[in-house]
Amino acid sequence: MTAYFIRRCLLIIPTFIGITIMVFTITRFVPGGPIERMIAQAQQNRMGQTGVSGTSPSDDQRQPLSEDQILELKKYYGFDKPIIVSYFLWLSKVLRGDLGVSTRYYDPVWQIIRERIPISLYFGLLSMILVYSVCIPLGISKALKHKCAYDNITSVILFIGYAIPGWVVGIMILVLFASYWDIFPLGGMVSDDFDDLSRIAQLGDIIWHTLLPLSAYMVGLFTVMTFLMKNTLMENLSSDYVRTAIAKGLSFKQAVFRHALRNSLIPIATNFGNNISVILTGSFLIEKVFNIDGMGLLGYESVVDRDYPVVMGILVISSLLFMIGNILSDICVAIVDPRVQFK
Amino acid sequence: MKLNPLTINKLRRFKSIRRGYYSFIVLVIMIGVALGTELLVNHRALIVHYNGQYYFPTYGRMLSGVTFGFDYEYETNYRKLACQFEKTPECGNWVLLPIVPYNPYENDFKEGLYPPYPPSFQDRHFFGVDIVGRDVVARLVYGFRIAIFFSLLLLVANYTVGISIGSAMGYWGGKFDLFFQRIIEIWSNVPFLYVIIIIASIVTPSFFVLILIMAFFGWIGITWTIRTITYKEKEREYVLAAKALGASDIRIIFKHIIPNTMAVIVTFAPFAISGGIIALTSLDYLGFGLPPPTPSWGELLQQGWANMDAWWISGSVITAMVVTLMTVTFVGEAVREAFDPKLYTFYE
Repeated sequence: MTAYFIRRCLLIIPTFIGITIMVFTITRFVPGGPIERMIAQAQQNRMGQTGVSGTSPSDDQRQPLSEDQILELKKYYGFDKPIIVSYFLWLSKVLRGDLGVSTRYYDPVWQIIRERIPISLYFGLLSMILVYSVCIPLGISKALKHKCAYDNITSVILFIGYAIPGWVVGIMILVLFASYWDIFPLGGMVSDDFDDLSRIAQLGDIIWHTLLPLSAYMVGLFTVMTFLMKNTLMENLSSDYVRTAIAKGLSFKQAVFRHALRNSLIPIATNFGNNISVILTGSFLIEKVFNIDGMGLLGYESVVDRDYPVVMGILVISSLLFMIGNILSDICVAIVDPRVQFK
Repeated sequence: MKLNPLTINKLRRFKSIRRGYYSFIVLVIMIGVALGTELLVNHRALIVHYNGQYYFPTYGRMLSGVTFGFDYEYETNYRKLACQFEKTPECGNWVLLPIVPYNPYENDFKEGLYPPYPPSFQDRHFFGVDIVGRDVVARLVYGFRIAIFFSLLLLVANYTVGISIGSAMGYWGGKFDLFFQRIIEIWSNVPFLYVIIIIASIVTPSFFVLILIMAFFGWIGITWTIRTITYKEKEREYVLAAKALGASDIRIIFKHIIPNTMAVIVTFAPFAISGGIIALTSLDYLGFGLPPPTPSWGELLQQGWANMDAWWISGSVITAMVVTLMTVTFVGEAVREAFDPKLYTFYE
């Protein structure tokens, strides 16, 4: 068993290299990188200057930076070396804990990411807690009332929630509650006058800003977890040991809560590992809709603006989390269910 | 066609699940209507009766204005034609316009007002007009047609690749399997939306290019599932029997194993369709999908998000999305239930 997990952990390394090398190569072939942006910027500056001073435009207006300057820039960003060499340079820096410097903000990537982590973590953890605390009881009650009106109605509602992606729900509740009825804010984390508020008012302000995005986050997870709970419990209820328990005189309630429920919590527990990366990286579409400065939006903006050090930095963190999450969920399976044998 | 009694049983069970069965009918009707949508939502008239002659302009070449006595060579404006004919009823000319007499590309401006305009039954803009003056119903209906056929084709592409690689992995196993396992692990970790955004910002993707790009990342899920099932099926006696009779590997895979994995393939299909619609809508919403002015739901959502006062835009797209995705999901759930051999026993 230990050998299995050690092997799994070792397999992270080639996968990690594969993922990063693939994205690294793609980023190299895309036009519009930092140098091109700098050229465009220099061109704009010059245009502005000539506009002010009133001199006639010079002949070399097409290329504001000299060849030497461009070469130097290429050297600075490491574009002068072949892909594989600069990839390993980047990798060795990452191994020393240096994710590089953003080409957009000129701040260290790790610092930018560290600022965004708490925001995504806040939404991720909160939605996770709420989802688990609602879905488990809901799933149990649905399993016990299988095919009743209550079960059918909640199923329909849950399916609607499952069918529509969270960010579309986000737009819907934004239009309804923030624009049409004007009850909730249009986005962001805090109001403009946040610093002037008292402690309690600040807390209220955060909650007021949290409610809409949080519901958008929860919509998708909600259905999956509830049905996971319901279906596993139903499976256990129809198994022989529950029948035995009832046959030997246990009340139905005792049979459910003492025997069936315990076994049904296994898949719920193991599902947790898979959610780790979701907690941290969030959904960039929801963050975009609600204008929340989390990890997801950072990743999206850095892709759009060709800020590749940030893209790679987020990729490193999210892919590691994803793989560790997978292994963790396998470990969870092994812990809660002694029948499972990994080889 | 002779059906396997097991399949007939499954079909019967599918029919008995009301919610899913009716959703399936609704979905089929929706796709059917989408195919003939030119007859319902179009700027061209259905029938024109002019000087004793009948014209059917909907399909085929465009009819220039000269045909109907206008002085221009470009395509006839049938709405104006209808107005003109109404003014002179004594000529006996008439025009039958579609229910929504607009196409999804034309701008219909009112004098002195900036779009978006709210819904108006008088102008036959039933769901209003978007921010550049195009009819929302027309955008919705044509957008639906593109989205549904996009995801159907994507499904075919994904399944073709996924089933062939997946069954090969499961059947041959060994080094081949291990190699593809690593590739899949890498592939599934690459944030595919990011990569599509990067690619889409270099080349403006057309319909088929976008399918190709999406299929490039979309084959993983089904491959993994098929691999697992093939692994299980391979150990069954019937495969051994086929092998003992001298069947080739290809024959065993195509004639014996794949038909037995059909249940799973069919079960996943509806969810793959709704996934395809969502993926296309997300990309269009971000502006990296099909190039404008292609009618698309994502683009309308973006408009609705940016112009929240124009509630008719976001309202109608979201309603359309809810209805479509819900019917697809209900069908999927019913298919799953019909194909699932497990019938729960439950206590009263």
